Amino acid sequence: MSNSNDASLPPTPSLPGSVSPRERPSAGNPPINQASVAQVVRDERQAPDPLAIDTSSPELKDGANRCPNCGATDIRPTLGSDELICHYCRHQWVAVRVEDAFGLGDGIDQLEGTVIASGAADIAPDASSMVSFKCSGCGAEVTINTENAMTARCHWCRHVFGVNEQVANGAVPDAVLPFHIRKEDAVQRISQFVGKRRLFALKAFKEQFTPENVTGVYLPYMIVDGNASAEINGYGEIAKGRKTVRTGLRTRTLHVADVYRLKRHADFTVDDLPLESSAERGDLDTSRNTNNIINAIQPFDTKNAVKWNASWLYGFSSEKRDQNVAQLRQRLEDQLLSIARAQVETSVDGYDRGVRWESERLDLHGSRWVTMYLPVWLYSFHQPGAGGGMLHYIAVNGRTGETMGSVPLQRWKILLPAITVGGVIELVALWIVSWLP
Amino acid sequence: MMDDLKDLLLSIGPGVGCAVHWAIYRYYRNLDKTHAFERETTIVGKPVTGFDKLVKRDLKKEARIEGENTKDHRQRVKRIPGHEPGSG
Repeated sequence: MSNSNDASLPPTPSLPGSVSPRERPSAGNPPINQASVAQVVRDERQAPDPLAIDTSSPELKDGANRCPNCGATDIRPTLGSDELICHYCRHQWVAVRVEDAFGLGDGIDQLEGTVIASGAADIAPDASSMVSFKCSGCGAEVTINTENAMTARCHWCRHVFGVNEQVANGAVPDAVLPFHIRKEDAVQRISQFVGKRRLFALKAFKEQFTPENVTGVYLPYMIVDGNASAEINGYGEIAKGRKTVRTGLRTRTLHVADVYRLKRHADFTVDDLPLESSAERGDLDTSRNTNNIINAIQPFDTKNAVKWNASWLYGFSSEKRDQNVAQLRQRLEDQLLSIARAQVETSVDGYDRGVRWESERLDLHGSRWVTMYLPVWLYSFHQPGAGGGMLHYIAVNGRTGETMGSVPLQRWKILLPAITVGGVIELVALWIVSWLP
Repeated sequence: MMDDLKDLLLSIGPGVGCAVHWAIYRYYRNLDKTHAFERETTIVGKPVTGFDKLVKRDLKKEARIEGENTKDHRQRVKRIPGHEPGSG
């Protein structure tokens, strides 16, 4: 399209009242004149993805989550339950479970192809983290940085806004699992966890330990259902006795074994397999980070996740998703193969010398991807050192209270018991050796 | 024979020292902890099928099969390309 055509574009319309960020044209990119786009292209652009599950909430797209009783926007979660409460009229209501609303737990064995919920759609490379709303109360501009927040309050009229519409920057998931564990409970669990590990802990860690600084954070996950088959090939051995062989002056014992070639086939479905959808959190290399701690507090009761509503994030921070389905597919396949290997393990119990699997194959018939925010209480401590040091996490599952952590060690302190115990045993050994002929 | 026994006895001390160090380190840092998705995810499987074929009777030096990985579910082995949905 030439510049002269661009110049003929209609002026940016002024949108009165509340509008969604998607409808709001940015200053740098004038809106495409739909009338000038070919009918075929327009139809394809506007047609819904036949495989997608639409979890969007059009009624919330203006950012204001209104109380069904009085219409106020000061809506907050009721900690410990899956209910929202209006802080104006105290009306409480139960959130809709995504599993019930969209049938996400059904038909896993019938899954074919890749089914992606609307919140798990690919992140647009040019999508901005900043989302602007026009306040429906007073018309003021309210901007939310979705890198770490999903709600804001209009500084003029006190209306509360939340990013409810599924903008293509990965910040809005299909579902959220609300916090059940309160902060006081999380503080107690972290104190208890560290209390058992104080003796050899790093001095600076003990001095600075302030569990009250724990932060409630919603972390992004892809929750995947899968319908798969796997084939695994290898060798197994069964012991059939021993044989003594003489070679020159020496004799040695060899093991007689029957060697079998094995093939196993497993058909299985997986319900709600969680995958970290942030590249940073998905890196579980323990030589570089302690993300395995956050990974280890799973599982979450994802079956109870509720439909997305930014009001759930009131008082909590959140991390944005930065991984798409295609980028997580390899990790899914690896995990499905691990599950298949675990499934066939009991079928080779009879091989008393063990089994060596040599090749494996996965047929992923179908998968269903849903994005979800899962609740974690997180305490962190940065230990200075080479290469930027190490960030140690202590994490509490916001639903079950499962606690795991990495406590930094004072290296010389753990050498003391190792040398003491080893030394005492060595002295005993020397004494015994001195008595031997 | 007696020399072997003496060597064994003298190696116990350093071995126990290393084990104590490793146990404390593991208890504090929890490097080995991750989500046990193989057990903690809802999995519905059909009965496992396959075959076992005797290849040979052999003499082995070791008490266990070489390269045993029965329980190392997450150790990936050679991948045979699978069927892609929609490829016919």
